[in-house]
Amino acid sequence: MANTKRYWSGLDELRETEAFKTIQGKEFPEAQSVDEFLTDERLESTHTGRRDFLKFMGFGLTAATLAACETPVIKSIPYTNKPEEVTPGVANHYASTYYDGHDFVNVLVKTREGRPIFVKSNTETGYGRVNARVNASVLSLYDEARLDGPRIGGEPSDWAKVDSVVSNVMQGEGRKVLLTNTVLSPSALRSIKQSGLEHIQYDAIDYGAFRASAEADFGVNSFPSYRLEEAETVVTIGADFLGSFADNVIYGERWAAMRKPEAGKMSRVHAFETNMSLTGSNADYRTMVKPSEQGRVATALLAQISGQGSAGQLSDEATKAVVAAAKDLKRAGSKGLVMAGSNDLAMQQVVNAINAALGAVGSTVFYDTMTLFQGSSASLKQLTTDMKAGAVEVLVIADCNPVYDAPNASAFAEALEAMKHTVCTSMFADETAAICKVNAPTHHWLESWNDLQIEGDRIDLVQPTISPLHSTRMWAESLLRWSGKNQDWYTYLRSTHASDYTSDAMYTNADWNKAVHNGFIGVEVEPSQQVSFTGVGTAQAVSELNGRKGGAVEMALYQKTTMGAGQHAANPMLQETPDPLTKVTWDNYVTMAHSDVDAMGLNGFIGQEKPASLVKVTVGGSSMELPVFPMPGQTPGTIGIALGYGRGANGENIGKAAFQTGENGSFETNTDGNPVPVGQNVFPWANESGTFTDYAQYDVTIEATGGTYPLACTQIQNTFMGRESIVKETDFTSYFAERGAEKGKASWNELITLAVHEDVSGDGTIDAQDAKPTSAFDLWHEHPVEEVGHRWGMTIDLTTCTGCSACVTACHIENNVPVVGKDEVRRHRDMHWMRIDRFFASDYSLERGEEEGTSVIASYRKMEDPSANPQTVHMPMMCQHCNHAPCETVCPVAATTHSNEGLNQMTYNRCIGTRYCANNCPYKVRRFNWFNYPGYKKFANFNPAQDSLMRMVLNPDVTVRSRGVMEKCSMCVQRIQSGKLDAKKAGTPVPDGSVVTACAEACPTHAISFGDLNDKSAGVRAISENNRAYHALEEIGVKPNIFYMTKVRNVEPNKA
Amino acid sequence: MVAYTGFRAFRNILTACLLMMATQAVADIWEEGDIEAGQALFNANCASCHKVTNEVLAAPGLAGIADRWGATDELLIEWIQNPQGAAESGDKYIKSLVDRYVPTYGWMTAQAVSPDDIKNIMAYVQNPPDAAPVADSGSDCVTVDELPIVDSSDSSGIWFLMLLVLFLIIAMAAAGVNRSLTNASLEKDGDSLLEEGPYSTRIRNWTWDNRVAVSLIGMFFLAYGAVLGYQGLMRVGVVEGYKPNQPVKFIHSVHVCENEVDCKYCHHSAYESKHAGIPSTNVCMNCHKAVKKGRRYGETEIAKIYDAIGFDPASGTYVDGGGKNGYTSPQDSYDGEPIRWNKVHNLPDHVFFSHQQHVVVGGLQCQNCHGDVETYTVGRVAKVEDINQLVDKYPGLIELSKPTLTMGWCIECHNKAEIDLASSGYYEDIHHRLKDNLRGNEELRKYMEDDKITVKELGGWECAKCHY
Repeated sequence: MANTKRYWSGLDELRETEAFKTIQGKEFPEAQSVDEFLTDERLESTHTGRRDFLKFMGFGLTAATLAACETPVIKSIPYTNKPEEVTPGVANHYASTYYDGHDFVNVLVKTREGRPIFVKSNTETGYGRVNARVNASVLSLYDEARLDGPRIGGEPSDWAKVDSVVSNVMQGEGRKVLLTNTVLSPSALRSIKQSGLEHIQYDAIDYGAFRASAEADFGVNSFPSYRLEEAETVVTIGADFLGSFADNVIYGERWAAMRKPEAGKMSRVHAFETNMSLTGSNADYRTMVKPSEQGRVATALLAQISGQGSAGQLSDEATKAVVAAAKDLKRAGSKGLVMAGSNDLAMQQVVNAINAALGAVGSTVFYDTMTLFQGSSASLKQLTTDMKAGAVEVLVIADCNPVYDAPNASAFAEALEAMKHTVCTSMFADETAAICKVNAPTHHWLESWNDLQIEGDRIDLVQPTISPLHSTRMWAESLLRWSGKNQDWYTYLRSTHASDYTSDAMYTNADWNKAVHNGFIGVEVEPSQQVSFTGVGTAQAVSELNGRKGGAVEMALYQKTTMGAGQHAANPMLQETPDPLTKVTWDNYVTMAHSDVDAMGLNGFIGQEKPASLVKVTVGGSSMELPVFPMPGQTPGTIGIALGYGRGANGENIGKAAFQTGENGSFETNTDGNPVPVGQNVFPWANESGTFTDYAQYDVTIEATGGTYPLACTQIQNTFMGRESIVKETDFTSYFAERGAEKGKASWNELITLAVHEDVSGDGTIDAQDAKPTSAFDLWHEHPVEEVGHRWGMTIDLTTCTGCSACVTACHIENNVPVVGKDEVRRHRDMHWMRIDRFFASDYSLERGEEEGTSVIASYRKMEDPSANPQTVHMPMMCQHCNHAPCETVCPVAATTHSNEGLNQMTYNRCIGTRYCANNCPYKVRRFNWFNYPGYKKFANFNPAQDSLMRMVLNPDVTVRSRGVMEKCSMCVQRIQSGKLDAKKAGTPVPDGSVVTACAEACPTHAISFGDLNDKSAGVRAISENNRAYHALEEIGVKPNIFYMTKVRNVEPNKA
Repeated sequence: MVAYTGFRAFRNILTACLLMMATQAVADIWEEGDIEAGQALFNANCASCHKVTNEVLAAPGLAGIADRWGATDELLIEWIQNPQGAAESGDKYIKSLVDRYVPTYGWMTAQAVSPDDIKNIMAYVQNPPDAAPVADSGSDCVTVDELPIVDSSDSSGIWFLMLLVLFLIIAMAAAGVNRSLTNASLEKDGDSLLEEGPYSTRIRNWTWDNRVAVSLIGMFFLAYGAVLGYQGLMRVGVVEGYKPNQPVKFIHSVHVCENEVDCKYCHHSAYESKHAGIPSTNVCMNCHKAVKKGRRYGETEIAKIYDAIGFDPASGTYVDGGGKNGYTSPQDSYDGEPIRWNKVHNLPDHVFFSHQQHVVVGGLQCQNCHGDVETYTVGRVAKVEDINQLVDKYPGLIELSKPTLTMGWCIECHNKAEIDLASSGYYEDIHHRLKDNLRGNEELRKYMEDDKITVKELGGWECAKCHY
């Protein structure tokens, strides 16, 4: 009865005519063909003439021109009450500390007009050096998807309401639990104690076995601290200390300290690993072992070194490598060091036994008061069980995302959903927060006060560098409020340090201000604690490891340098930073050995038109389809998959860049209508069979599905195909023999010469001996830069460059390099000013081809294939600022010119986009703006410049380039200009070290140096005159201002 | 520490001596001063805040000071030389002054004047010459009354021309209609038609008859049009004379010329940063906490800055977010609408210009690029001709020919401006590197040919000096 009216779309429908009935079933009317339309006779009388067309065009053009003549009125809004320390146009730096549950680094935050825009290492007081993730984390501050205020049941609410709701349940009966990752803040721990909540910690990446083994073997509950700067021989069994291992932020610099050939000695690194990791690619010797064999490598080492236990079964190759490693370890004695990455108690106990036998404990490995990684996955499991049983009344979740990264996530999520009182303090409505009843979002670390204690008496401070952008509250302050203590977080935090930690003097404002200025309170203590090895469980551990069985295919889960454990999934800059080894962006995938790929008939080469093959990976009953990346150095019979992908799988709003976009820029959606996340989440595949979560599975199955999937790689070539003038390398013995050689004379770094038709050698005949160095040949007038004015230059030491990509993100944030998205990267239109070329060694060479009678072309083709376990070179590549720049001579409009300071200048406003320069660049470092990235809709979902909030991260000192212009590395000319200005004001020459490019500043191993090559006292000048220095592609004679330093590997000569 | 104590003791002794000397020298501060000298001193040091009448400027008027002063003469000297020091003396009268005026006007800046100077000033303050207007301190300021209130461009000429054309068209159309009607009636009557054809025919005929003259005139207009067109195109993007209206009718001449506020008092970041910056409202408040009424617009314009920062002129205190006044400094909780100024000097995004480089390192005067701002009402882009006329007034100004804020103007100056090598150790170092390493390079030899070293010769014409 309620609704009997009928509505018609027209009379046809009412009368139900035949014509209507025929169209009714069709969504679109019958298409009228073009031919039909064009041959319509009536058209001839309605033609628009050429003249009319021109008139309309002319009018349109004039109208557009006139409209453009109007000068826009630009508003300028000064501060109403300007803070004294802010001067518009001048950057301020604040000391702070980054801690996300995994990485802990002292940083300096650069702000402009109150906006944080750059994060760099605080080298003066610092613990650690920023890596790519820390560097790029400044973007997440401005993520639009952050919660703008508290929510109850998914509905926006206010803090008063949230406080009353949560306080009520906190006062009620029942077990109340706080779940966090490892909390390092003494003040937060104090507030937790006061709140009366039961505190449970777990870590996204579990390192529980490290603490447990230290407890068992040394009687200290501490996370180990490795002194790589002391170690002469390092053996790592799957510990990627240069890439993703715990505390990697500190190990790069420490490792590099022992990798200086000029010092006359170098450490030697032996790596035994499954996947090709950054550490493996930088190791002197690398051996491929399956996850199940890693334990036997450790037992074999132990047997070799102390004769303890027995060696299990290993392949001949691995046994040989173990013997060599043991020999080096024994030689190094207490200066040796063994590390293992596996979070397996038996493994860590055996490693402890080896280190103890070497005398390394107390020399290269310390068990102090390191507070990192106190989490326990066992207690998380127990909590899940309790929650399921209804034994937990209230659960507060802070600083962690268990629904995504807990190994038993689905069980946890189910139990969480069933609970009545759940509070999440996440900044985003992420996987966990979306389920929790109350969301009480916390501050971003750049908005918050905090104190962190990582070791000893030293306390590092986090200070806010911007007012909170949203209505958020530090989670520990929320805890205080909910437990009835109405104190603001800052006051509370200061009171912690007045009473507990230091003398009363600390209480004065002056001391406090000094501490905030420096970023820390207290003093760093030297390691002193001596521990003794008990070795109780060693024998059992050995037998456990020796008995470990593996299936046909084993799997090792790893973290990418760019993505970590997934906290940064919505960071477009990190998503687009290529993985240092695979060079793939915007995805995770299965890495497989080439031999396995060929055996399964999968695609062995990934390119723009060559998508990756899909395989179905099954682990204990659950399976996923993932693309396969053929990876040199991957142990045959194993696969590797990166953690940290597949965030927001149920459409949680965690930030736009975490989801895949199609060719037109809109989100790809799955069958539920949810956006498809980038990559897939493999946390559920972490190994839960032991007490601790391990990231290896010993028996998985893979099968080809026949499907394909495009991967976006920035570098598809694997080798440099015998072009040895790009990368020069030698072994340490050869280097040492000729260490005193004049530059250009050593056999491992000979000057490249060209034969001339003149008697240079003076032997009376013109023969092969008559040659001149390439620098003697000039096609053009010399640019007057040598010894004249400034000559900005850079040196890059290939010996210490690990490929970690911190320089890449630093460069891109400093220089507003646009993010272009997977589709454009796939078309090789990435805009990266700085890239790190990764070259694998090949077994083949022209000489071998000659011997085997292969044709030259066929030999070159074979040289494209990398070895199964190749040596690797990471080579940062950016504009070389050639003094004879080929790009400058071909520019028709002189948009790229040379400055008398040695810079190859790129003038965007003059560029007309012919791209001749890019064609003529031998280093292929010029990038063309194909699109208006800050405006075009294709990039709307990930380009920071298109996000109303995230565009605040753009550096105001660098132009945001527009469509149709070429761009490239400028050697951070904005920093050079400001450094010169400072010198002019001070009335002194530019002091060495006062101008540093973003990449040099970010480099954790100090491989990159920058300065004025004409300054006789400059460090960079001394390095460029070193006999290891060379120019890439020296034979083409373009005279770059960037020098590379010959890579020296600490290997036996015949292996180099 | 020892040195410091020593220094302090020495300073105390010195002060005591000076005070004694002062006391002796000016036995009676209220008599026998030189009025003329006093006037000059007063204008130089006091006039920006005090008036000799009862009128309040940025501080109380000084009329009747001799009768009012209730403390000793020594304290008056101390009060002027070091107000906070005088307040520490504990004198009752001084304390009453502090309580009464400091909350509103703040502390007076310590003045570097000798007791004799004070005596002269006091003589002037007590007997100001009758006809001496304060602003007429020997300057050629444009007084407020001479300034036009609205700076709107006069566009009535164009409208008049358009009306004229319209009128002509209508007149000709009407005449045409008239002719057609006449013809129609003539035709109906069977009479012969009018001899004259339509205007178009007539004009065509006339043109043909006078073709030589017409083509000459036509060519002239064509050439003229081409020249005009070329000039017009050359003005595209030239913003000389751009003078947007501002939300607050701020008059530069009143502040700079009459009140002698230095450019960098408000635009101080020109010395610290690349931006000269629009002063923040709290800078305005330094004076306008006391100056509540303008000479031209009364209270309306100044009220706008009070609204922005949250100041209650009646009580002379700041207001918080809840509307409660009584604060001595601006309150963060006050949520006022900031003043949205219209930016005058706009450079494209790809141009990086540093004020600091030009003002601090280069030592340029503001007038070299901005003209005689002290004669302006609202800020504007100065015309290069106007700037060139200031050469006599501001020695050292560089005369240029290209329109201001164009790249031609910038590089013309970079070609002319010389670098004082002695001004900075930086330039000396660079100069030596160039001089010592010429190595027969032609381009570099030119560098040393004349005795001048211009900005261009040190790379001031290179793209990446301004574009990056």
